[in-house]
Amino acid sequence: MSETALEQFRADARAWLHANIPAHAAPLEGPDSRAFVLDWQRRMYEGGWAGLTWPSEFGGRSLTVAQQIVWFEEYARAHAPSTHNASFVGLNHAGPTIIACGTDEQKAFHLPRILSGQVIWCQGFSEPGSGSDLASLRCKGRIEGDEIVIEGQKIWSSYADIADYQELLIRTDPDSSRHKGLTWLICPMDLPGITVRPIKTMAGPAKFCEVFYDQVRVRIDEAVVGGVGEGWKTAMATLSFERGTASLALQIGLVEKIERLAADCTDPVLAPRLADLRADAAALKAMSYSFALASESGTPGSEGSMIRLYFAELAKRASDLAVDLYGIGAEELAGDHGWSYEYLEAFSETIAGGTAEIQRNIIGERVLGLPRGKA
Amino acid sequence: MDFEPNENQTAILDGLEQLISSQAIEAPKDGVLVAFSEALDAELALGGFLDIAREEEFTLLDAALVVERLARLPVSAEVAFSALVAPLFAADTVQRPFALVSGNALAPARFLTVARTLIVDKGDELLMIEVDPARVEPVESLFAYPYGRLTSLDGLNMQTFGADMAAAVRRRWRLALAVEGVGLMQSAIDTVVDHVTNRYQFNRPLGSFQAVQHRLAIAAGKQQSARWLALRAAWSDSESDCAIAAAYLQDCIPAMVYDLHQFSGAMGLTLEFPLHFWTYRLKAMLGELGGGSAQARAAALATWPDAA
Repeated sequence: MSETALEQFRADARAWLHANIPAHAAPLEGPDSRAFVLDWQRRMYEGGWAGLTWPSEFGGRSLTVAQQIVWFEEYARAHAPSTHNASFVGLNHAGPTIIACGTDEQKAFHLPRILSGQVIWCQGFSEPGSGSDLASLRCKGRIEGDEIVIEGQKIWSSYADIADYQELLIRTDPDSSRHKGLTWLICPMDLPGITVRPIKTMAGPAKFCEVFYDQVRVRIDEAVVGGVGEGWKTAMATLSFERGTASLALQIGLVEKIERLAADCTDPVLAPRLADLRADAAALKAMSYSFALASESGTPGSEGSMIRLYFAELAKRASDLAVDLYGIGAEELAGDHGWSYEYLEAFSETIAGGTAEIQRNIIGERVLGLPRGKA
Repeated sequence: MDFEPNENQTAILDGLEQLISSQAIEAPKDGVLVAFSEALDAELALGGFLDIAREEEFTLLDAALVVERLARLPVSAEVAFSALVAPLFAADTVQRPFALVSGNALAPARFLTVARTLIVDKGDELLMIEVDPARVEPVESLFAYPYGRLTSLDGLNMQTFGADMAAAVRRRWRLALAVEGVGLMQSAIDTVVDHVTNRYQFNRPLGSFQAVQHRLAIAAGKQQSARWLALRAAWSDSESDCAIAAAYLQDCIPAMVYDLHQFSGAMGLTLEFPLHFWTYRLKAMLGELGGGSAQARAAALATWPDAA
């Protein structure tokens, strides 16, 4: 795409966002959050601004990564609702995973619904005893004819209380261990036998959830993505998106926020910290853009872990500085979307989707090629 | 050199343990951010634990040990200002609990929602304001202390003190931060050590991974260093020792809070895990008195006055 065409695309995006940004801030939890997120997604879809790089046959626009970047830049500039909301898993995990590993029927059914703001997805990977060590998971599925019967528990499933579907990783081979015998499922959240308990986070909202499964039945042909027993491979595709391009909008948003902090900073004591943040933000931008452009033709590689980690630690430092800059009681810190919330929420950045320690292991072993440590 | 508690200190700390036991203090489990115990605050005052530095047979260091021990509890009380700063004033001229702010008297202050006296450090002078509870509005805070601010100063009783008293209060405020901070750090580290000892991943305790061990070892070393600096400051009550202790503590906080939450995993992101009762209070201390770099400058000026 020529520079001129890209600039026209930018102008169109800016104009649409200017005319369509929601007047009210996004609620952070519960049914109000669901209604807001679905409405905003629907508006973007109807305006032609959803699924820019998704295939057009499934409701996307088959545009380039460069256009996606421009859209996210304008999105951040317009202070549009955070993309780290209840639509995140559907748009950034489940959708891309179904595109990469799903059947034609699954693609045709689910992808348009995700893009057009009809459904919310959540993730069901972690368990009380299986966090960083995901391969030790014990939530099981018993195969009975053309069905799988699910029994067990998941935890840290954000927005499970308002979700329609869950990307669910379970053990379907009872004799298997570790990475073998797992299956990645699409689990409708309204099935009999599912119980959801929200957990209050230190940032305020009760968006984390525990999910309990008591003899929950799903159809194999509808639910299984990537094949029975092939769940680890499918899950790694999901996590490669999470550690790859899923956070691109958030990364661009963070760069924008740091620039706003710089504009507000008149404190000479804080200025050196802010200068460091701006340098890191510039580096993050360069790394994430080059990685996204290189990933255009396939599943992102392990280098994404470097960017994911860099972003997570920068997000923490930025919110830390914001609290120091504005001070307790300041308007900038207050409210559901103030810097206090960002500060507390940022603690999760180096934990969710693989802790900073796991990301460092990946960088060491898969990017640098260092010998694997003994687990 | 004697690094063991003396007889007086042992007696005080034993008495304090008895009081703590009688209060049956536990971390709140109902998802609260602020855990201030009025009952503990009142009992400490009644038991004389906050007036130790005023007694002839005791020292400021004895009072500091009380502050450090109480900071290890998951609930807060207005202890450090009463025990370490207030003795600068005659006992019958001030009423606790205290709140302290720098500069703007209307700025949010720790403990102001429960305070009877607000001390305002204006650099070259000091204001002591009698707090009218009707003039205090609570301030939303994520820092586990009750915060409030005055809505106006009109008609409030206040006294003004000179630059010497302002400097003395700043010195003791630094000491109060340093001593309370090391107690908070100790309990936060203990909580996380317990978690990584009992939490298994990859068929072994999290604490057996060197990536975890090394950073917790660094945290423990920092806490110990901060503790001896704080106790030395309480012993000497010197400008430079108090400033160095506060500077060291404040500089340690960001990395330590990061690691302690990191090693608590997703559990540490919830209010069902008690870590925030110590780490959020540490975070509150990070910016007080201008932050670590301001204390470092104060220490340099105290050591090399000509450098000013």
